Amino acid sequence: MARKVGICAVAQTTFQRNKWDQRFQNMALEVLESLREQTGVDFSEKKGIGMSISCSDDVFDARTISDNGLTDLLGGHFGCEEKIAQEGIQALYYGLAAIRSGHVDVVLLLGHCKESQGQSRNMVTHLSFDPFYTRPVGLDYCVSAGLQAQAYGERSGITDEHLARIVVRAREKAAENPLLPDTERVTMEEVLASKYLADPIRELHAYPVSDGSVGMILAAEERVHEFTDTPVWITGVGNSMDRFFLGDRNLGANVALKAAAKRAYHRAGITDPKSAFDLVELSDQYAYQLPMWMEGLGLCNEAGGAKWVEEQGWDRDQVNLSGGMLGGNPLLLGGFVRAAEAALQLKGEAGTRQADKAKTALAHGVMGPAGQFHSVVTLKRD
Amino acid sequence: MTTETKDCFTIDGKLALPYQYFAGSTGSRFIISLREEKKITGLKCNKCNKVFVPPRSTCEVCFEDISDNWVELPNTGTVTGFTIVRYEEPHQPLKPPYITALVKLDGADTPFAHIVKGIPFSKMKTGLRVEAVFAKKTTATIMDIDHFRPVTQRPGFELGYTYDQLEEGMSASFTKTISETDVYLFAGISGDFNPMHLNEEFAKATPLGTRIAHGALPQSLIAPVLGMKLPGLGTIALEVTTRFKAPTYFGDTITATGEIVEKLPERRWVRMALTFTNQHNKLVAEGSALVMPPVPMDKE
Repeated sequence: MARKVGICAVAQTTFQRNKWDQRFQNMALEVLESLREQTGVDFSEKKGIGMSISCSDDVFDARTISDNGLTDLLGGHFGCEEKIAQEGIQALYYGLAAIRSGHVDVVLLLGHCKESQGQSRNMVTHLSFDPFYTRPVGLDYCVSAGLQAQAYGERSGITDEHLARIVVRAREKAAENPLLPDTERVTMEEVLASKYLADPIRELHAYPVSDGSVGMILAAEERVHEFTDTPVWITGVGNSMDRFFLGDRNLGANVALKAAAKRAYHRAGITDPKSAFDLVELSDQYAYQLPMWMEGLGLCNEAGGAKWVEEQGWDRDQVNLSGGMLGGNPLLLGGFVRAAEAALQLKGEAGTRQADKAKTALAHGVMGPAGQFHSVVTLKRD
Repeated sequence: MTTETKDCFTIDGKLALPYQYFAGSTGSRFIISLREEKKITGLKCNKCNKVFVPPRSTCEVCFEDISDNWVELPNTGTVTGFTIVRYEEPHQPLKPPYITALVKLDGADTPFAHIVKGIPFSKMKTGLRVEAVFAKKTTATIMDIDHFRPVTQRPGFELGYTYDQLEEGMSASFTKTISETDVYLFAGISGDFNPMHLNEEFAKATPLGTRIAHGALPQSLIAPVLGMKLPGLGTIALEVTTRFKAPTYFGDTITATGEIVEKLPERRWVRMALTFTNQHNKLVAEGSALVMPPVPMDKE
């Protein structure tokens, strides 16, 4: 049996529409300093951080080797430094593997993104399509989400009304989250009157462009208590990647998410997901995804997404108390922030958004067009 | 993107890298069929019978090498999913709003993303039967299929060349033999019963020695060229001028030809040179025309 891995500390900047007065290094330093302050961790060879994993993207940063500008922050002169150019929850997966395999004991995770600096987030995601068959047609993640929302809507009976309720509630929660100071509450009428982006997706159904940084310290079971009294244990992880071409996929059917969840639940020994979690953090980039991912994770009944919205199941199941991605996190950090928020809840450090007596949690990340790549992480505290 | 320059500097990045991607031998064959023969092709796995469009050299289910097993597919298919794109980005193939759909060709197993035109947004639905409309000019990409349109809609009506598709030097013509009947009908249409056209005995006494067709009759043969060939259906003629050079006798076969000589970018009109020749290649008239080429009608 490999050793357990605990999340010792979590730090985040605020997430704002445009942090024009900060370079990405400034944002990341704020996170690193907070982590050092919380844990006393350093880069010393024997006892310090054994491996740093940053999360950033060359295209979002419009520079090659986007981690190059962070070498000092990551202790890159002292030891192992890695970068993932993927949704940030992969850094957590990677750190977990590095510790469980016995290579290192202590891992720093640090993700950052300034979406505001690009002319358009859609132009960035357009580049993830192949140049022969899909780029000429103008695909990006927004139009892909439109195709998926239409497919899921036909299957699930989710209406414009349902989607508006999701957005109103997400903004309500985000407005209570001090890390999302730019949030404006919206009314049903405002959402229902908002312009269409890619039918049935409206402007207010989409996660806003944002800037910010998030980080964590992970440690092996036997070292955790050097850094925290309230560790959060990673009990299960699961990834799954669906096919590349949108037409090869059943866009309304959650194929990859179900596979990712199955892997995570198996590793965590969970047989009944509906009763397994006290709180859930989902990456809802677009409003339709909240009930769709709930179904895919088996947290509500298959085809029961519409009913779950009508019953405001998010209160009972404590889903996205943070405001979720609809509250405003960068594409690259959506799942990472979900894991960070879930860990804060379990540590009892979630402040104004703290849930009661939460012992177990699920965090979910997603990347690629129309939910191509899903990650599921299960967490618990002692 | 906002730029705050009062308290800090920002530098404008202008990253753009013109680049040539090699499509690979499988991708190249697909594009060449599309470009040279206007044929959509796919690769079929003989083990599981799955037909892949766009083509893939290996079956993802069976891991069989299927790179030589090309099949030709029809231009018709069914919409399996769609959205209406309303936001504007530089990478889009046309100005929004437009429909992006997943189209499964008849005989294929993998739908692929493309554009659907020619249907009101409110009528768009999954299950819609569509057919490919090929681009008039190749770009050697998937956009050699310009778009898909509903199979049953506007049968036989295909708009002519748009302003952007027209090039100087493009030409088209229409040929017809002028009979006695044509002349009599034209006399009735125009009210021009001049004996020069209708009375052989009168005409014998004139310098031409026999009846001739009305000057406007061969001239009118340019109408089918402009309206139905070049630019074609949807064209509006703004001005046609002609100078008559030689008479047209009964039984003469007249060819009216129009050639694009100038594109006028400000108004998006084109100027055309007109020639009218008979069966001896003798110039019977020449002139010019100013026309407004068709504007795509695929609006909601």
